[in-house]
Amino acid sequence: MSAVDKAVPRRRGRRTDPVFYLFLLPTLAMFTLAITLPAAMGVFFSFTNSIGFGDFDMVGVTNYVAMATDPAILGSYGFTMGFALVTVLAVNVIALLLAIGLTSRISAKNALRAVFVIPMVISGIIIAFVFNFLFSNSVPALGAALGIDSLRDSILANADTAWIGIVIVTAWQAIPSTLLIYIAGLLAIPGEVYEAGALDGASGWKQLKSITLPLVAGYIVINTIIGFKNFLNSYDIIVGLTNGGPGTSTRSIAMTIFSGFTGGDYAYQMANATIFFLIAVAIALVQLRITRGKAAV
Amino acid sequence: MPTPPLPSGAGLSRRALLGGIGAAGAALLLAGCAPSGVRSGGRTEITFYQTKPEAIGYFSDLVDRFNASQSSIRVVHDSTSGIAAGFVRGNPPDIAAFTYNLEMARFMERGALSDLSDMPEAATIRPEVQQLVDQYATYPGRTSVLPYSITAASVIYDQRLFADRGVEVPTTWEEFLAACQTFTSAGVTPIYSTFKEPWTVAQGLFDYTTGGMLDVADFYERMNAEGTAVGRTGSVSFEKDFAEPVDRMIQLAGLSNPNRNSRGYGDGNLAMAEGQAAMLMQGPWALGEISKSNPDARIGTFPLPMTADPDDRKVRVNLDLALWVPESSSKKSAAREFLSYLMQPDIHDAYNRDFLAFGTTTTAPPVTDERIVGMQTYYDEARFYQGASKAIPLTIPAENYVQGIVTGASAQGTLRTMDADWRRLALRA
Repeated sequence: MSAVDKAVPRRRGRRTDPVFYLFLLPTLAMFTLAITLPAAMGVFFSFTNSIGFGDFDMVGVTNYVAMATDPAILGSYGFTMGFALVTVLAVNVIALLLAIGLTSRISAKNALRAVFVIPMVISGIIIAFVFNFLFSNSVPALGAALGIDSLRDSILANADTAWIGIVIVTAWQAIPSTLLIYIAGLLAIPGEVYEAGALDGASGWKQLKSITLPLVAGYIVINTIIGFKNFLNSYDIIVGLTNGGPGTSTRSIAMTIFSGFTGGDYAYQMANATIFFLIAVAIALVQLRITRGKAAV
Repeated sequence: MPTPPLPSGAGLSRRALLGGIGAAGAALLLAGCAPSGVRSGGRTEITFYQTKPEAIGYFSDLVDRFNASQSSIRVVHDSTSGIAAGFVRGNPPDIAAFTYNLEMARFMERGALSDLSDMPEAATIRPEVQQLVDQYATYPGRTSVLPYSITAASVIYDQRLFADRGVEVPTTWEEFLAACQTFTSAGVTPIYSTFKEPWTVAQGLFDYTTGGMLDVADFYERMNAEGTAVGRTGSVSFEKDFAEPVDRMIQLAGLSNPNRNSRGYGDGNLAMAEGQAAMLMQGPWALGEISKSNPDARIGTFPLPMTADPDDRKVRVNLDLALWVPESSSKKSAAREFLSYLMQPDIHDAYNRDFLAFGTTTTAPPVTDERIVGMQTYYDEARFYQGASKAIPLTIPAENYVQGIVTGASAQGTLRTMDADWRRLALRA
């Protein structure tokens, strides 16, 4: 896609050296071979009854029809959407507050920034296993020691609360990258604006509401959309924390799709993946529209 | 019985392993560009697929010995590839010793595995054991899979705790409940459950309770025949047939450690090693782990009695390793030669002895390890079943459903969902 975008204005110029197209070729070939082609094949297989190998028949839209009434798939969409919304909210609120703190005049600013960014460099599955241990052992032990009954059992062991654990861990990992974008956004606000505001008597809450927030609004939009799209794809952290349980209460869309490969339900889950892909495309288009609009302003 | 000595030096087996992986990788590369039937140095090279983690070193040594014993075939041990990917690419191994289950049966069912019925070794397999293969699926006129190693699972119990409280191994459901009662009143946790990991529920309590009350193979045969009509109004369904065993499963779940929902597989083994609980519903793979934590633990096994009749007791088995040769292999005769080597009684029996498993041939010696010796009679008399959770296609998240039931979800509602899933799958198949 990006290749096409770049090619258009150059062709208009009519002075492009053909060698540039040569530079594009490797990426274009890799992209086509590794992403476009397999995706197209996946869409094709979603109209068959293939189990991943051997003979298959065309079955039309049977898979799509069966999907529409499958509680396992609908449940995974419901869970994933809800989870993504809550997480995106939590991540952005916390990251923005942290960013405001980390760009104000406090001591050890750089050291603190480094500390807050650490979760970003740890692999998701490791984070998940560590938190799994904390939720299952440390927190209940703490609850027992303090006599807090509601903490005595792991929140991951309860179908009604397991999602909270997943939100906490996902947010913990996702906050740093969001935080970095907010810090960049806050640093881009010229100091003069605050000075002018201060002369007019704005301080504290008023300053935040009338100066800071409007000027980082663009970053909030980007962080929200990128975050939402990422959380829809959640897989590794959930596998490490609950493996979709208890019951099927925390099965994400990606986990359901993957079960098609191991469970011999390839074509069916390809149909699921196709729908999921269309949703992702829709979100990407919204993102593109909004960010283009911002760039024009 | 003469047993061939096995080199146990870690260096050797590791080198062999790494060499095997490298060679397997090279073989994969070659397969892409060279015509099949590659010969290296005049020897036919075949790929042997085996990935059971505990046994990789063992089989690597075996492969080395086979390679040294003759000069026409060179076996390369592949312990890392994905088996489904191999079949999808049309590039499966030439021979495999692999767990046999519903997912493998899929390949067999579509004719991907060659017929081995003409091999003399096929005639040495116990018919009841060969029958286990057919319970998943069959291919007309073929014996595509030879069972190599059967693991049997039942209740793991702490013999010392049983003796201390004067509890005999229970033979009926009532006796079992009474035993639990005795432990509870003495302040001992009767059963240690690890519900955090769904598979431990499915392969433990769920399979034991259903297998102890139902004819599992017959149930799924009827379920498959019923197909899209499975449900309350049909002749067979999870909701109706599993209601009673599942109720008892919930009852047993309630007799487990209070923190069962947040405990995992490893916690269960540790608890047994430390004598924290009297019983654990796990397979033989847990025995080694328990012994590792506490070499002095006195552990035994007995089948979970689910009815009032002691004769109804059965153990859960699975086809831990089975041998097969893909139809698409171009070097079947070499693969068959290696298969014969693996099936030689001294090699075959030694493997099963070393890995706490039961032999599959009519001449296999009984097990001797005191931890599993309690299951030998049941195995000999074919009083066994394959777990109900293993006969459900993975696309239905049965393990998660069962975990949901023991952690508080409605049993009837969940079983009804499983029926609906079954119908949907039958519709698409």
